Amino acid sequence: MRILKYVMAGLLALGLARPAAAQTIDDILSKGTIKVGVLIDVPPYGTVDDKQQPAGYDVDVANLMGKYLGVKVELVPVTGPNRLPFLVTGKVDILIATFGITPERAKQVWFSIPYSAIENAVFAKKSAKITQVSDLKGLRVGVPRGAVQDVLLTNALGTTARIQRFDDDASTYQALASGQVDAIAETGFTGRELYNKTPELGLEQKFVLLNQPNGITLRKDQTNLRQWLNTFVYYTKNNGELAAIWTKWFHSDFPTLPTF
Amino acid sequence: MRALNSGDFLFLVLAARWTILLSLSAFVGGGLIGIVIALLRTSSNTAARAAAIAYIQLFQGTPLLLQLFLVFFGSDLLGLALGPWVSATLGLSLNAGAFLGEIWRGAIQSVPKAQSEAAMALGLHHLPRMRHVVLPQALRIATAPTVGFLVNLVKSTSLAAVIGFVELTRAAQLLNNATFRPFTVFFTVAVLYFLLCWPLTIASRRLERRLAVATQR
Repeated sequence: MRILKYVMAGLLALGLARPAAAQTIDDILSKGTIKVGVLIDVPPYGTVDDKQQPAGYDVDVANLMGKYLGVKVELVPVTGPNRLPFLVTGKVDILIATFGITPERAKQVWFSIPYSAIENAVFAKKSAKITQVSDLKGLRVGVPRGAVQDVLLTNALGTTARIQRFDDDASTYQALASGQVDAIAETGFTGRELYNKTPELGLEQKFVLLNQPNGITLRKDQTNLRQWLNTFVYYTKNNGELAAIWTKWFHSDFPTLPTF
Repeated sequence: MRALNSGDFLFLVLAARWTILLSLSAFVGGGLIGIVIALLRTSSNTAARAAAIAYIQLFQGTPLLLQLFLVFFGSDLLGLALGPWVSATLGLSLNAGAFLGEIWRGAIQSVPKAQSEAAMALGLHHLPRMRHVVLPQALRIATAPTVGFLVNLVKSTSLAAVIGFVELTRAAQLLNNATFRPFTVFFTVAVLYFLLCWPLTIASRRLERRLAVATQR
């Protein structure tokens, strides 16, 4: 994906390519549809239901947003690695894709105020003595490639741990279950549910690595659209609709989300 | 997290349709490009040979994954906006064209030179010489490596998953991430790929035997 970034920068620099056009809320209203990129391989944020259709917290938020906007929502499945190119090249209008707000990413795209949060936790065998990041030194640690926990642990541990990167979340959980790694950093909610269902593996949550607030993501320089998205998040946070969707998928109280 | 249901297995079987369709269209597209490349590569014109070599080097020397990415996202930056289906077909065809061109070039060149010379002595020009003398013999030589490549192409279609194309492999990843049943899901997918590739190998062996009889010397 890094190579793609350079290629795109090269094409733009040569004047061969035009960046996707800025959109205002009026443009979207007159089009009558909004293309929303969602993940469908990170349950319960985005997954496929028993009829193999997109479902999850992000999908419900996208549909709620469509209701308030009064346009048709076209869901476009994206993956963690390809969601940024999908947005930047205009294949989707916005992302509601559990995209963590970081200064690094904000150089390329804009975020709404947080509409959800994801808790990242470290999991390992019950017998292992792991209570903080430095305890992971010398261990084989599994992470999904390019995710925030990958960046965080790589910066914190460098070469003192053997960080093994997997293609998706399911492979990362499986790597710990089958003993290919000693610990993993993954979504707390899903990890607890998964390992509690399989007590014979003797795996448990060790500590919470970080709580990452996520924003609805849009292309840069679209103040007008961002203002509407912020208003939508603010309004549905206050009237309890976001909290209701949260409880439906996570069976817990809506987390306190910071704002900016 | 949910359990696997029978609909999920149907979902995989239906996703295999896209793998088959994508393989077929990439084979047709790649075949057409491959014929042109093989003919250019074996032509007596230096510029034509150089162009064919450059094309082959470009597509054999870069990863297919990157080629698919460039066609899919690059087309947007150029204002063309090709969808995943067109991008995947185009990317795979361009790539397959380079490999098939090289396979067929080898087949054409392995037909003994004397055959060409004899045809020339009989007064046949380049095209009829190719069509009636060289290509029929090259076809037999090319069958096995072509099918070998086709089997590979079927499996290469899984790379289309990176541009959001839900074929067999991507469908399996989605189900695995929803149900956390990697062994059941990926075993099923392996069986489906095998069922797609095995008949190809059998057909290739039959075809080889038939062509061997037809062109016995």
